[in-house]
Amino acid sequence: MSSSRRGFFRDLAAAVGSGAREAADAVREGTEPPPSPLTDAEIERYSRQLVLPEWGMAAQVALREAQVLVVGAGGLGAPVALYLAGAGVGRIGLLDDEAVETSNLHRQPLHYTPDVGVPKVESAAAKLRHLNPDVEVAPYQVRLEPHNADALLEGQDLVVDCSDSFTTRYTINRACCDARVPLVEAGVLGMAGMVMSIRPGRTACYRCAFPAAPQDAPRCADAGVLGPAAGVIGSLQALEAMKLITGVAPAVTDGFLQVDLAGPEFVRVHSSRRPDCHDCGEL
Amino acid sequence: MTAVRHLDITGLTCPMTWVKTKLALEALAPGETLEVDCRPGEALENVPRSAREAGHAVSLRGTTIRIVRA
Repeated sequence: MSSSRRGFFRDLAAAVGSGAREAADAVREGTEPPPSPLTDAEIERYSRQLVLPEWGMAAQVALREAQVLVVGAGGLGAPVALYLAGAGVGRIGLLDDEAVETSNLHRQPLHYTPDVGVPKVESAAAKLRHLNPDVEVAPYQVRLEPHNADALLEGQDLVVDCSDSFTTRYTINRACCDARVPLVEAGVLGMAGMVMSIRPGRTACYRCAFPAAPQDAPRCADAGVLGPAAGVIGSLQALEAMKLITGVAPAVTDGFLQVDLAGPEFVRVHSSRRPDCHDCGEL
Repeated sequence: MTAVRHLDITGLTCPMTWVKTKLALEALAPGETLEVDCRPGEALENVPRSAREAGHAVSLRGTTIRIVRA
């Protein structure tokens, strides 16, 4: 029996069971379209993206087959993980070594007041599993550091860096370049931020664009950030991830998108690969 | 000659009517035909329009939409 026929009987059973109007897409015997790689439940869940001209079966299946590592389950990681899980990324690794604090809640919509004290990755994974039970969520309560980066990147199709320190960003950039794993970088502070997609060996890496960290860069813990600003930058990051996985639209590569939400102003800043780049120069 | 494919969307409502049609068309080769059984009303207006906007050739026979994949 083809999967579309199985879908027909499943829909029929559900409709009869709930007393709802029968809503199956019966296809005539012998002339039905080829079996769909997506189940009827997946088509229903993702219908508002499948209906887009740019999107379709191939893009949806590419998302489902993807394994993405989200580094950080905070202000950027929360919207990134929410949107990637909602969109149907098959496997999401979530990495964060911190516990939820009350001061996180204004900008980290995966965590609620009762979660204070709970490891962020556990709090986040629970919400993501409720949001989309089809997504496999793997929580890692560790900090990404040079000694564990290679192991954590093993098998990943994409990394989304939602960390809040330049040290971690450069560590991730180097590890992604070494493993040739595509990367979405971002940062947010106050009402401003940036987003950059990287295809190691093909487009400028984070160090090509920012050869050294600023000497006096504040961390989120030391400086303010407005929740919606983190939401905008994290949403842009999730969109970049979906573009890199599916190829449905060009990602922001060879440069970055500089976002000033006080203005508001979005500026595309161009960059290019540096032959002498410490991280990607030899790729 | 390639067989004409059939799809029944009479039990669906917008946007699933076009979603199912769009996915069925994606599975066909260019030049292949999909015949879609549709209820009168919104879907019979919207599905042909969406199919035309996507570049496919569309004709109507009663409540059956005949779409040749672009």
